Amino acid sequence: MVFHPREGRSEEGGWSPAISRRDLLKGAAGVGAAMGLSSVLAACGAGASGKPTASLPSDLARPNHPVKWPIYSADKPIASGLSPERNATLKLYNWTAYINKKVVKNFEKKYNCTVQITTFNTMDEALAKLQTGQLDFDVFIPTVDVLGPLIESKQLRPLNHSYIPNITQAWKEFQNPFYDQGWRYTVPYTIYTTGIAWRKDKVAGEPSDMSNPWAFPWQGKYKGRVAILDDYRESMSLGLLKNGITNLNTTDVSQLTAAKKSLLKLAALTDVHIDNNDWRNVPSGQIWIHHAWSGDMAAAEYYMPKGTPVSVVGYWFPSDGKGPVANDTMAVLAGGQNPVLAHLFLNYFLDLHNALENIGWNGYMQPLNKVTPALLIKEQILPKALSSTVVRESDFNTGLQELELPASARAVWQQDWLEVSQGG
Amino acid sequence: MWGRADRSAPVDRDPLRHRAFWAGLSAPGIAWLAVFVLVPFYAVLAVAGGQINEVLGTPVPAWNPLSWGGAAYQGVFGDIVGAGAFLGPVIVRTLVYVAVASTLALLIGYPVAYYVSRFAGKRRGLLLALLLAPFWVSYMMRMLAWIDLLQSDGYVNRVLQGLHIIGSPVNWLGGESATVVLGLVYGYLPYLILVLFAGLDRIDPSLIEAGRDLGLNRARTFVRITLPLSRQSIVTGLLITVLPMIGDYYTNTMLSGTSGTSMIGNVIDGQLQASSLQTQGAVLSLLLLGVLLLPMLYYVIVTNRASVVAS
Amino acid sequence: MSGTRVGTRELPRAAPTTTRAQRLRPRRNPWRRPVFLEGFTWLYVLWSLAPIAIAVLFSFNNGKSQSVWQGFSMRWYTTDPLNSVLHDPTLHAAVAQTIRLAVLTTVIAIPLGVAFAIGIDRWRGRPAKVANFVMVFSFVIPELIFAVALFFVFNTLFVTVHLGTTAEVLGLVTWNVSWPAIIVRARLVTIGRQYEEAAADLGASRLQAVRRVLLPMLMPAIFASGVLVFSGVIDDFVLVDLLSSTAPTQPMSVIIYSNTHGGNSGPALNALATLMLLVSFVAAGTGFLAYRWMTRGERNSQDEALSTFAGV
Repeated sequence: MVFHPREGRSEEGGWSPAISRRDLLKGAAGVGAAMGLSSVLAACGAGASGKPTASLPSDLARPNHPVKWPIYSADKPIASGLSPERNATLKLYNWTAYINKKVVKNFEKKYNCTVQITTFNTMDEALAKLQTGQLDFDVFIPTVDVLGPLIESKQLRPLNHSYIPNITQAWKEFQNPFYDQGWRYTVPYTIYTTGIAWRKDKVAGEPSDMSNPWAFPWQGKYKGRVAILDDYRESMSLGLLKNGITNLNTTDVSQLTAAKKSLLKLAALTDVHIDNNDWRNVPSGQIWIHHAWSGDMAAAEYYMPKGTPVSVVGYWFPSDGKGPVANDTMAVLAGGQNPVLAHLFLNYFLDLHNALENIGWNGYMQPLNKVTPALLIKEQILPKALSSTVVRESDFNTGLQELELPASARAVWQQDWLEVSQGG
Repeated sequence: MWGRADRSAPVDRDPLRHRAFWAGLSAPGIAWLAVFVLVPFYAVLAVAGGQINEVLGTPVPAWNPLSWGGAAYQGVFGDIVGAGAFLGPVIVRTLVYVAVASTLALLIGYPVAYYVSRFAGKRRGLLLALLLAPFWVSYMMRMLAWIDLLQSDGYVNRVLQGLHIIGSPVNWLGGESATVVLGLVYGYLPYLILVLFAGLDRIDPSLIEAGRDLGLNRARTFVRITLPLSRQSIVTGLLITVLPMIGDYYTNTMLSGTSGTSMIGNVIDGQLQASSLQTQGAVLSLLLLGVLLLPMLYYVIVTNRASVVAS
Repeated sequence: MSGTRVGTRELPRAAPTTTRAQRLRPRRNPWRRPVFLEGFTWLYVLWSLAPIAIAVLFSFNNGKSQSVWQGFSMRWYTTDPLNSVLHDPTLHAAVAQTIRLAVLTTVIAIPLGVAFAIGIDRWRGRPAKVANFVMVFSFVIPELIFAVALFFVFNTLFVTVHLGTTAEVLGLVTWNVSWPAIIVRARLVTIGRQYEEAAADLGASRLQAVRRVLLPMLMPAIFASGVLVFSGVIDDFVLVDLLSSTAPTQPMSVIIYSNTHGGNSGPALNALATLMLLVSFVAAGTGFLAYRWMTRGERNSQDEALSTFAGV
């Protein structure tokens, strides 16, 4: 059995991948290691004979183990000083309802181009399509935990920083993030926490009343009105947190099994919905307790039915900050036809004015120095009742981040999630 | 039956050229089927027997049958019978939903088809057009229509509340089995009705008259003559509704979206979307195909026989 | 035209006057109106069509709700500057893509299927039987299984065919080619070979016999299957869900699905669906009238046209 070098090297990183026998037996992932690895090496041109070398220049990024991604000879950044493509159609691959179309229109006007937005509902769905290697999107919005495979398969184009001067407006830590040292492939897009949203007018009590607030969704009396996010990292993490586990990158199979069991119990108890439409379903009253993203709840006001005040929506995130916190990134895809425009697009959304207009519709905060909670409330972008959705710089020190998993562990996470999402 | 009798026909004087001509005419179609039906199914076998790329998590198909591995098969097998099996309830649920939905479809569809084929009189054309209308409305739009109606503040709840059948609004879209079954019936019933209609319409009316002449009342004419004569179209009609229902995943996602109503199609869809589970998705589709092989073969044979009989 | 179709036969329109049964059992009239059945049928028609009518109605709603009426407006069609079908590029691209797929698929599938049907029917060798078997088989296979197969083959083997319109058309043609193949073959069976033989006796070549004699006789069946393929593509979801890629390659069904599952999403989708409804009704209406015109002179052609359109 050959292990991926990234797994072998992990000891240096100070965390343990804890590959168990079950990982290896479960699915094809473990068994496929040998063959998968050699084909990757061949594809990278790193090892001529397919012999695993320690020079595979990648690792699993962690805050205490930052990663500087290599620039491959086959996948170089574009030259500086190019003018944007003319009459072009910039293709953006984005989550459903995750960008203000007005700001996009302004971009179109400014650069005389068309932006074509294709949406996906889950990161997994997007990756499954991207990994076919057949799509020619220009810009993608990856979560931090999927960067590794995307970069290693040369799907992301390294950035030419000269097109993105607005990076200086971003929080300092995002100008050199641990997951992409020297921001070689990504710029930050949004920041958010993952917590629990509830309807104060329908549900008695609130999460902070409970000794274990993460258990708030486990209430049988709200059967049919409870939902969790359709995202295997987020929802499995909810299961872990409910069980008191705070390592959201665990490879411990027994912890994952316990999390799965908790979620299955939630399903049996409440007929739990699985969707990423917290932004729509909580305001409409379709769902009363929703495992939710802070940014989606910040935009709740826009979706409230006439006559219902936004103050009936609550959002809970642990006051000690020990909950999932994350940022999404923007990246340029190597298969795109408009790399210059793509760079300019990234730059455009790092500008304070555009970012504020985008946040005003999207709800999700962007980590720019001047985007302060006070400003958002003053500009009436964020309703006061939902100030709990604010993400602060300090949250990234205290919060829990969902980061890249070793492939074999990812297979276990996904298998357990399949069982929860389809087998309840 | 066919083939042999034609040998003396004048166009067959040069049998070799004769065959070459007709074979040539069907060649593009045959080639197409080979490339886009047979090869794809080989690809499923190759993916199912292949590996998962350890870094990218994408399937690496094994094109050589000798190198097919059983890991994905083991994985699916473990889902069905192993210690961590979870597919059992999903399979049972799929069978129950499909059985209930197709029975309901038959109970609703048969009387309608029977009426339109035998009694509609001068309204026959109009009714037939109305029965056909759903065909021209996209399946997704028909599901969308029910989503509108079944909202908490939708017309279904308002009507039921107005009639004092329910006190407070029912959360129809909150994972109700009844809603999913309703969706299946609503979605697939038009197909069943048309097959039933064609079958009932084909029955020679003189047979029914004969029954009446022999003194049978309507109910007995129906039981003794019409029903047996339409047995064939009941079976084929059920087959062409049951087979797609078993592979359905969208009705459930649209009308429920909870794991408590998920069907086998949802599992396959879920496996396709998690790249590290794609090989298992291939295996599960193959298994499903294997299970459905018999009813499918039956359908093929029956339709073939029907066209031979017609000639 | 003399051949009777496999599909439907004419029914007596008027009841016979007196029968022995009536004389024997005078109390119960076997020809009385089946009131219960009639009511049931109309109830069914109402149930099957009313929801669609309501969905169409809500496309004109002057508000974001799909379930509460807030007044009439064209907001979701034209006036809303961001989310109307006119102004949301994803939505109007979906209409265009649906029509594009339907036209391309029909144009390819019909000649392919018709030639296949004629060839298979007249060839009658073992390979023909096998090919026919594969074709009918692909007709009954659950679409999900078929779509999974195509998804894998385009991603791993035919990698030059990128996901998107090409892959969608190839998949849809394969999935729909059975319509012309089955319907034309059914018609061929009833026509028999005497016409070609007569043409051959008059000195026509095989190709001429097919073109001048067979094809005109098959025209109604070909046409009907074309309409079926067209509507089948508009209705399709599973194949295009797996084989589409960028937004302009996503037809209406995919857009509705991905924006709807997990909750309602505003009347713009109703507007989109209503437009498609209009397109397919126009196609169906034109097709129906044209079919009747083609088969004029045949008895009972209205019923036949309808049931041929239904593919039964």
